[in-house]
Amino acid sequence: MDTLTLLLEGFATALQPIYLLYALLGVMLGTAVGVLPGIGPAMTVALLLPITYALEPTAAFIVFAGIYYGGMYGGSTTSILLNTPGESASIVTALEGNKMARAGRGAAALATAAIGSFVAGTIATVLLTLLAPTIARLAVGLGPADYFALMVIAFLTVGALLGDSLWRGMVSLSLGLFIGLIGVDTLTGQSRFTFGVPQLGDGIDVVIVAVGLFALGEALYVGSRLRNGEIPLIPITRGWRTWMRRSDWARSWRPWLRGTAIGFPIGTIPAGGADVATFLSYASERSLAKPEYKQQFGRGAIEGVAGPEAANNAAAAGVLVPLLTLGIPTSATAAIIISAFQSYGLQPGPRLFDTQPALVWALIASLYIGNILLLVLNLPLVGMWVKLLQIPRPYLYAGILAFAGLGAYAANFTVFDIGVILVLGVLGFFMRRQGFPIAPLVVGAILGPMAEEQLRKAMQIGQGDPAYLVHSPFAIVAYGLMILIVVLALWLKRRRARYEAQLPPVDTVAIAALDEEIESHQPHPQQDRGRLSTQITPIQRRSADPPEGPGTGSDG
Amino acid sequence: MTTAPTGAPEQGAPAASRSARIEALAFVGLLVVLSIAMLVVTSSIREPAGSTNGLGARVVPYAVCGLMLVSSLVVLVQQLRGRFGSADEGEDVDLEHGTAWLPTGIVVLSFLSLIITIPMLGWPLGVTILFAGAALALGAKRWWAAVLAGLAIGVVTQVVFGELLGLSLPITGALTSWIGL
Repeated sequence: MDTLTLLLEGFATALQPIYLLYALLGVMLGTAVGVLPGIGPAMTVALLLPITYALEPTAAFIVFAGIYYGGMYGGSTTSILLNTPGESASIVTALEGNKMARAGRGAAALATAAIGSFVAGTIATVLLTLLAPTIARLAVGLGPADYFALMVIAFLTVGALLGDSLWRGMVSLSLGLFIGLIGVDTLTGQSRFTFGVPQLGDGIDVVIVAVGLFALGEALYVGSRLRNGEIPLIPITRGWRTWMRRSDWARSWRPWLRGTAIGFPIGTIPAGGADVATFLSYASERSLAKPEYKQQFGRGAIEGVAGPEAANNAAAAGVLVPLLTLGIPTSATAAIIISAFQSYGLQPGPRLFDTQPALVWALIASLYIGNILLLVLNLPLVGMWVKLLQIPRPYLYAGILAFAGLGAYAANFTVFDIGVILVLGVLGFFMRRQGFPIAPLVVGAILGPMAEEQLRKAMQIGQGDPAYLVHSPFAIVAYGLMILIVVLALWLKRRRARYEAQLPPVDTVAIAALDEEIESHQPHPQQDRGRLSTQITPIQRRSADPPEGPGTGSDG
Repeated sequence: MTTAPTGAPEQGAPAASRSARIEALAFVGLLVVLSIAMLVVTSSIREPAGSTNGLGARVVPYAVCGLMLVSSLVVLVQQLRGRFGSADEGEDVDLEHGTAWLPTGIVVLSFLSLIITIPMLGWPLGVTILFAGAALALGAKRWWAAVLAGLAIGVVTQVVFGELLGLSLPITGALTSWIGL
């Protein structure tokens, strides 16, 4: 087994103490930012891109992989425990998990999410290990026209599917493609859209685009509408060993496996990423549930947390398959990771497995290690992360701005970039206000120049005949699949929107009573296990005259 | 802040207020103008003579600006028919109250100040001003805590990124070079 030896070599690299430390750093950062409201994995990777200027590639990608996986784990903690109106209805995991927490079963929801993420993440990483070298071997034979087809698929699926409406996604995508065009054209040496500004000649750095839109835009947007008053947090009290009762395990393991089976393929094909996967998993769990559990859906069914969480993590690993083997990003985070590769002069794609086997396999091995670290970090230590939710928001967002400034300045060490990033940040601010998705813009800006290069190569080979673009069977199949994916996914999105619109508000007392009744019918009833106090501890923010002394508030 | 009506949370898209509608139309209108202007600019990109087959430097810009024009026109028409986008939701985002424009403006200015403060005062002090300005604008209570936290972040990033990782962040600027670190 060639793959196995390579993987073992990867482990030999990734298990060196220094790389283990980098992996730990990555998953800690990833979990922290996943937990912190308002910071997603895309923003974190963008903010940490400056470390690529200083670290060697293997270390940097181990950190990024940790952030990428960690962000997925941490996000569920926030949506389960943070009880803010509005947000929780938009994501299916939060839908059930938050209801469970409000009914006093938050610990069980957290546990099934963390263990499900671990199971799904590990299985999906195994699949990635098995699939990636094969796909890379096949992909070596692809020509420029085939690559162009793949990139068009990535553009259209990301643009059409990540957001409220197809056309808003297209606006965002075209803005990104436009930003990617700025600079001197590599083929003809002509300046395009530089307006005589010499600093624009090299184009706008991808770091600048990503940090401006994600970090600065988000901080400005949240800052303009910062929630006042208390943040109602649902507390977790008891030890983590007693979180899942017997029936919870029995009800969780099938959804974990089904979620993995749904999530991984959807992550692999560019079909709108994790969103579609979580909803599909949720819908299938609901229809497969036994009648007595079915009435719990919408009121805190554990299957509704276990399945979508697993699907979410499996999709995250699936996204890495096209990223590593073809160099095609299918999410904003993946696009930013591609730009990190580029800043090392590496081109992700089929040849990466031949030219940089040590790096690739160390990266894959670190995914296994990261998953184990994350399970430990998220189960016994979840209380530590919950404390992060209590960081005063003014300091949190001011800190994000400081790191955005660092990212902007460190890209080229000119203050000109501070101005550019501010323009992009204001653009991102208004796009968020108007409901334009941000991810297509970033994907367009990063993938656009690569797509143009492939297109022009293809046209040169085809001697200017556009028919060359659909010349190979691969390209024809790819375009056909693209239409299928978009139509199918748009239909799914409509269904999800309709489903979420018809959810009635449910009383938490009724949820708890229903749970108690179901549990009493179990062969080994354990009503008490996994229960929590349901009282809500308010956290004071912006209250007049905080009574506590100094010492709070100085944080990073 | 006045107490919000926290009764039954109303589902469905709330009717966009007049100012929000105007803002939405203006934003998309600007995009339409931008795409037309960029189509004009594209036509002035020089195509070197003698490029045989293959695509010149103009083709892709035309396609991209065309896509931008078409899609923003469609969104504009959708909005004129009353289909507005819904603002992003988030854990810390309060959509029920209006936008705090003044603090947002101060945050933007604090960020912009880096253009002057990095060359003049150096990185740590520049970050201190940015952090303190932004934190106070966003509602931090104690000004000295904000300044101290900002200074701490400035010094820590200087040490970690400037000294340990070797990025050339200026410790001092033109006005503070007498400190002599």
